[in-house]
Amino acid sequence: MNEPKPVDERYYQLLHQLQALDFVLVELTLYLDTHSNDADALQQFNQISEERWKVACEFEASYGPLLQFGLSFSGYPWQWNDTPWPWQV
Amino acid sequence: MYSQYRVYYPYVSPFDPCPPQRVKTYVVPPQLFIHFQPPNLPQFSPREALFHGTLWPELYSPYEGRGDRSEGRRKK
Repeated sequence: MNEPKPVDERYYQLLHQLQALDFVLVELTLYLDTHSNDADALQQFNQISEERWKVACEFEASYGPLLQFGLSFSGYPWQWNDTPWPWQV
Repeated sequence: MYSQYRVYYPYVSPFDPCPPQRVKTYVVPPQLFIHFQPPNLPQFSPREALFHGTLWPELYSPYEGRGDRSEGRRKK
């Protein structure tokens, strides 16, 4: 089996972007829990979650599934147990 | 922006087993002073929010570490 090549720079950029968007979504979720009729925040939340969906799809298209059990698609052959594993990233 | 640290001076007894800590500090983060978060506060960009640990600059509470705050703690 050939030696697995390290992932490229874009992998980390996308992951970093995803992490930032996820954090904003967490903050907005907590904010909206107590401010349920704040329309602007809700609109921002929906917009950012859609943006997060795009970034995740872009990542998964080139690097394999992020989540498991049907929450992400996988390419052929099965990519779920490919390197890098989360602690190797 | 006011400082987010307040100090208090513990009582030092002549029979203290350890070297006395004359100045001790505690943090007063911004959320103590905001009763209910108003809507439409200015926000960080996603990347900045991740690094600051909060989406709103007004709630940002940095931790500068021990060294620079009180002389009582640092061993000369």
